[in-house]
Amino acid sequence: MSDAVTLTLRAPLAEPIEAECVRADRFAALDEREIAALPVWLGRRQARLGDFFEVRGARTARVRIAGDVRRVDGLGAGMTGGELVIDGDAGSRVAAGLTGGHVEVVGSAGDDAGMGMTGGTLYVRGRAGDRVGAAAPGASKGMTGGEIVVRGSAGRDAGARMRRGLLFVGGDAGDSVARATIAGTVIVLGRTGRNPAFASKRGTLVAVGGVDIPVTYRFACTYEPPHVRLALTYLRGRYDVGIDRTFITGRYRRFCGDAGEPGTGEILEWLTE
Amino acid sequence: MYLRDVFLEDTFAEAFPMRVARIVITAVNARWAREAALKLTGFATSVIACKCEAAIERVLDSSETPDGRPGTSVLLFAMDTESLGKRLIERVGQTVLTCPTTSCFDGLPAAERRVTPGRALRVFGDGFQASKVVAGERYWRIPVMEGEYLMQESFGVATGVGGGNFLILATDAESALASAEAAVAAIEGMPGVILPFPGGIARSGSKVGSRRYKGLAASTNDAYCPTLRPLTTSALPPEVNSVLELVLDGLDEDAIRRAMRAGIDAACRPGVRAISAGNYGGKLGPHHFYLREIMGAAREAGTPA
Repeated sequence: MSDAVTLTLRAPLAEPIEAECVRADRFAALDEREIAALPVWLGRRQARLGDFFEVRGARTARVRIAGDVRRVDGLGAGMTGGELVIDGDAGSRVAAGLTGGHVEVVGSAGDDAGMGMTGGTLYVRGRAGDRVGAAAPGASKGMTGGEIVVRGSAGRDAGARMRRGLLFVGGDAGDSVARATIAGTVIVLGRTGRNPAFASKRGTLVAVGGVDIPVTYRFACTYEPPHVRLALTYLRGRYDVGIDRTFITGRYRRFCGDAGEPGTGEILEWLTE
Repeated sequence: MYLRDVFLEDTFAEAFPMRVARIVITAVNARWAREAALKLTGFATSVIACKCEAAIERVLDSSETPDGRPGTSVLLFAMDTESLGKRLIERVGQTVLTCPTTSCFDGLPAAERRVTPGRALRVFGDGFQASKVVAGERYWRIPVMEGEYLMQESFGVATGVGGGNFLILATDAESALASAEAAVAAIEGMPGVILPFPGGIARSGSKVGSRRYKGLAASTNDAYCPTLRPLTTSALPPEVNSVLELVLDGLDEDAIRRAMRAGIDAACRPGVRAISAGNYGGKLGPHHFYLREIMGAAREAGTPA
């Protein structure tokens, strides 16, 4: 057993590959040869993980990926436990369907990061693409548990159709953030894009860095929401994210909506002091 | 064995297993966290009549609480898990939920056994309540006139120890009170232990049952009542005219042992003749705290004794 399994990209990739086999929980039971023999896909063509990566280490649920893997999709997808650290950028669908464990992207993540995840944590130190934490195509629910923390900005449809869980965006969020949420919490420290929390049934969108409140949301009051304080205090202590104290202790304007739905969702807009 | 001219009787305190929860109350400032804690722990001196025993464990700095606000930690003991859950629902619902600015959190997150007072109290929200999951724990947001009350759904239940005690035998009431106050001051704030009686002190130590009244659960500890010296089998030395008792409940034996050591050491003051302890001959409770052993350990550990 090694301290960690390290996958090092042998050469820059000419085309994207699908590597959903890269799961820390799965590596815990495999030796180097078995890991290298795991299948990856280039379009419809099957290849072996070892064709693209040098594999070092075996039989551990701690995995590190070195090299530019922004063209490698599906890393950590469906992982149930363990730790996966991607030293640079990651391709699309990183940690999609995650049910447990911790996935960390030191760079930025592509589209569909943490899509439909049900548990575990995804920590993206850079930016995230579109649909982070959202629903898989055709699925009725986005993430239903766990945490996604994006230090940078996020693209469109962040947290769309979310059912449970916590999605934190340290930078700006694109259009339609928290669209059609069923429940859960989305926190955006930067500017929130157009149509925030559109058609949400329940759930919370915390907008710190500015938001255009839709006319379908109704003002309730100005107050200090204790759950926002709890969540931000937790995030600041757990992750290396810069959360100003005034966001934690400050007052928020509460808007209830969306009017076309049960109306028990909310947008909490931070009140500049 | 003498400690600074105070005789340490060769006896032990007998204590019992109890179920315990730690409730962390936070508020806008320390004053309101304390106000809620004082109400929460009111009328909770003895399970005999109060159904639970509770007191403030210690004041928490904002860096020690889940939401970064000033807080107060309370320990609440009951005889079984079901009773503990009921007491939490009753007491938190009437005292913490009602208190301005407070939130309420579990202080025993590692405990596997759980009760869910937050789930029960959520219905006060009359359907407007909402839940949030943070760090894997569910919290309930209950709308109230002030704004919103936040409470953790489940609280850990540990097996603690209830009924640790020692008696201060003094020449007069003033000396007994001064000694007991010094002992309380030495124990207050120690983690994992509480003194559930008023100001930490009990003047009416009891014995099990009654010599005269059937069905009475407890009655005065006549052997330690100075006024009854010629009327009963007294346990008091001739020069003793007042006795006070400290009762200690703790998360474990070690917490009680440490607190008894600190308390007895502080209690050995002028006017105190002896330190004793209450027990039932070792037949009822599995936890035995031998006074001389505890204070001997204090000597070996280099603490004053």
